Amino acid sequence: MSSWGSLLLRIGDKCSEYSSSSDFKDHIETCYGALRRELEHSSTDILPFILLCAEQLPHKIPLYGTVVGLLNLEDEDFVKKIIENTQTSFQDALDSGSCDRIRILMRFLTVLMCSKVIQPVSLVVVFETLLSSAATTVDDEKGNTSWQPRADFYVTCILSCLPWGGAELVEQVPEEIERVLVGIQAYLSIRRHTSDSGLSFFEDDESGGDLVAKDFLEDLWERIQVLSSNGWKVESVPRPHLSFEAQLVAGKSHEFGPISCPEQPDLPSIISAVACGKQKHDAELKYPQRTRRLNIFPASKTEDLQPIDRFVVEEYLLDVLLFFNGCRKECASFMVGLPVPFRYEYLLAETIFSQLLLLPQPPFKPIYYTLVIMDLCKALPGAFPAVVAGAVRALFDKIADLDMECRTRLILWFSHHLSNFQFIWPWEEWAYVLDLPKWAPQRVFVQEVLEREVRLSYWDKIKQSIENAPTLEELLPPKGGPNFKYGGEVGREKTEQDALSAELSNKVKGRQTAREIIVWIEENIYPVHGLEVTLSVVVQTLLDIGSKSFTHLITVLERYGQVIAKICPDQDKQVMLIAEVSSYWKNNAQMTAIAIDRMMGYRLVSNLAIVRWVFSPENIEQFHTSDRPWEVLFLSLYNNFSNVLMERLPDASRAGTLQELKTNHGDSMALDLEESSAMEVDDENGRPKKSRSNGGRTTNIYNVREKEQWCLSTLGYVKAFSRQYASEIWPHIEKLDVEVLTEDAHPLFRKAVYSGLRR
Amino acid sequence: MASLFKDSAKISAYRDRRFNGTQEEFEQSLLNSTTVYIGNMSFYTTEEQVYELFSRAGEIKKIIMGLDKNSKTPCGFCFVLYYSREDTEDAVKYISGTILDDRPIRVDFDWGFVEGRQWGRGRSGGQVRDEYRTDYDPGRGGYGKLVQRELDAQRQLVDYGAGSLGSFPPVMPPHYDKHGGGHGHGGSHRHGRDYHRKRHRDDDRYVRESSKRTSYNESRRDSDRDSRPEKNPRFRESGNSDDDEEDDRK
Repeated sequence: MSSWGSLLLRIGDKCSEYSSSSDFKDHIETCYGALRRELEHSSTDILPFILLCAEQLPHKIPLYGTVVGLLNLEDEDFVKKIIENTQTSFQDALDSGSCDRIRILMRFLTVLMCSKVIQPVSLVVVFETLLSSAATTVDDEKGNTSWQPRADFYVTCILSCLPWGGAELVEQVPEEIERVLVGIQAYLSIRRHTSDSGLSFFEDDESGGDLVAKDFLEDLWERIQVLSSNGWKVESVPRPHLSFEAQLVAGKSHEFGPISCPEQPDLPSIISAVACGKQKHDAELKYPQRTRRLNIFPASKTEDLQPIDRFVVEEYLLDVLLFFNGCRKECASFMVGLPVPFRYEYLLAETIFSQLLLLPQPPFKPIYYTLVIMDLCKALPGAFPAVVAGAVRALFDKIADLDMECRTRLILWFSHHLSNFQFIWPWEEWAYVLDLPKWAPQRVFVQEVLEREVRLSYWDKIKQSIENAPTLEELLPPKGGPNFKYGGEVGREKTEQDALSAELSNKVKGRQTAREIIVWIEENIYPVHGLEVTLSVVVQTLLDIGSKSFTHLITVLERYGQVIAKICPDQDKQVMLIAEVSSYWKNNAQMTAIAIDRMMGYRLVSNLAIVRWVFSPENIEQFHTSDRPWEVLFLSLYNNFSNVLMERLPDASRAGTLQELKTNHGDSMALDLEESSAMEVDDENGRPKKSRSNGGRTTNIYNVREKEQWCLSTLGYVKAFSRQYASEIWPHIEKLDVEVLTEDAHPLFRKAVYSGLRR
Repeated sequence: MASLFKDSAKISAYRDRRFNGTQEEFEQSLLNSTTVYIGNMSFYTTEEQVYELFSRAGEIKKIIMGLDKNSKTPCGFCFVLYYSREDTEDAVKYISGTILDDRPIRVDFDWGFVEGRQWGRGRSGGQVRDEYRTDYDPGRGGYGKLVQRELDAQRQLVDYGAGSLGSFPPVMPPHYDKHGGGHGHGGSHRHGRDYHRKRHRDDDRYVRESSKRTSYNESRRDSDRDSRPEKNPRFRESGNSDDDEEDDRK
């Protein structure tokens, strides 16, 4: 890379290009000097590269802005082209709804304003254009309120610029910026507060009362107000242009041409709640909220930080995660080397976990954040691992309230993380979970983590890893392998079925074709032994042959799938098939899931058969569903959920909210009077508000009974499932409303579905 | 994303000699591939472990374990086939350089599995890298093959009178790998009787530990039967030897 290129890329970093100096002023002078010399020959290369750097290294934008400001003194035309390019880019981004580019280019414009490259009033015009579009959108009469997410996004962008240029704007165009702020305040009063309880990490109880948590925009507005009352001083945003103010002032401020926001989408042709719901869903997908705050640590860990600094650091971190995906070294080094004068490990942890657990989905696969956390533990071995451990403990304490999907992600993350650090963890701290009932979420969490660890490793190793808490061995998955019915037992005579199984096995090993085997079964086995035995022997034997590995399984299915298909042509038999699979692999949840999934892939079982099996009496007890989105499936699924929940949920009058469900004692009045009064006392104390984490460890006495926990978990899954497949479900929502989500359905069930769909 | 730092031109430093085509075609196939090659695995890592880790990047279509040509046992590499390109890229991005079964593994785009590529190409049947390396790696059969042959030759010259204990390496590495009680028979036992016996003979660790763990030694003497001691954690109890092993490796 050319030297001016390296200087641009590395500006602000402690590196050899800048003789390991950390002084921004030095960096800027060096960089500017080099560019100035090259401008004559290489301006066509330099221009796009500056823009590229500004776009992909947004935490360095103040530095780039200053450099451009200095270049403006040298070569006005060059900088004019930069402005023109930026404007074209920005307009493109608005037209195509490229949220990151819009946001970052606005920051760049702000900083260019600080370095006198563009006029403050031009920036204000940009703000006003966006604000006006937003205000129109949320207007009940002139607008299309389903598109509020876009309007919110525009206003967020405006507010996001203020940490970078608020002081300058207030100084240079006080009236104009005041108008904008007043306009934003007005906007906030007419827009609808968003309360996406379906997306919150923890169970939001409606019984919360008066204190409704602020949504993202309201929260940001509050932080900006605090900032403005502090004279717009932001620690986390460098202001290198101040060192060059005397020179920069001499530069010519360019105009920034007009921009326009895209038209708002048309209202649906038939106005209905459903049609608007669909539009809103689309808008949310296109203009998503960037993050949701996950407060893991008590406020004391971040109390030195100004509210606005938290916002800025989050922005920095999210942008590094975005732009350095795939570049492990740079990602980690930028994450830990932000241009801020304070420590921020706790914020770092909270931000990454908030992405890992983000609902409905994080921007990247969870495995990405797993990798980042690992790399940061290695980059900051003295500080970060302890912070991560603290986060795990804090989340573990509150796991009963954590969304079901978040729990799953946490389990997968934690087991994977530990597998990279030799499975070392102070398990003795959690040994107490054995005293909890077996459905208690904390106990289930520990069990699931151990199960996943065993899958990534092997049983004996994990047993060894918990040697400081040997009682936890009880929670390890069964050590055994397959549960083959027809293998014959030592010392027992071989049964007829065992013999049949052996014969079939030999045929398979003898490479008989599926056809031949089908004929053999039809002529010899079925007539003599009947359907049930035939099915069981054939399925178990084939599974056994395919048991040695994943590859063996798919080979058996490929070669002999036809045999299975012949025996199980209809739903009833497919349900029996799945039951056999489940029995054979009862000691290995992973293989059960894989076998059923592969059978689905080979069309040996239909979705409906799976649903039926899932809801069969034996299985209702332990819920797990995974499905492909079809209307009939959702209908049948939701219907089944609804019915099953109706049977078990207490009457709506007694349990209309989740809080009531948790403390419901239903029929068993026979309980100790003392016990029930203890619970009532807990209830009055309530649980801590969700907007701030529990300060330190509270002693959460887990008191929920099995039936109620089952309902809570199931409702949690209904919500998670609705949320995950929201895009696929929305097209069928009318049918669902008519057939399932009726007034007769239990309110808690309906709430769970709506919550997941963000209705 | 950050095109600024990624060296996208250099998609893979490894160039497979068996590929029939130009460098350009090679790179093109890597750019479209939905197969990853995984290297530096332990011989004892199972398909299930691979499945569990690699499904976190996406849905897996197939896993093909790399095998020693002679013993037909895993020799430390494998292929994972995904359904989508994006998942393949994620596997390379997020899993390469991280730990599988206590070892940092390498994950690369592969130009595409073809029958025959599952066999090791080293003279001794395993991978080429295990022919010439000089370090002691308990997860990959101990010393490299060349070194092993040297040691064997030396032992033949000098009879220490140790009798059936045979030979032991001159240097005793102080630290066991996690398989502790060493077992040359790790991984799925699907590889049949021949496999067990051959590993038994070659495995340095068996010999080295014979002085340390007599009980283990005793149970090892039963090794001709398929009922393995519990030391091999991945052992599964059905004792059929698998005749159609080769064809399974499609």
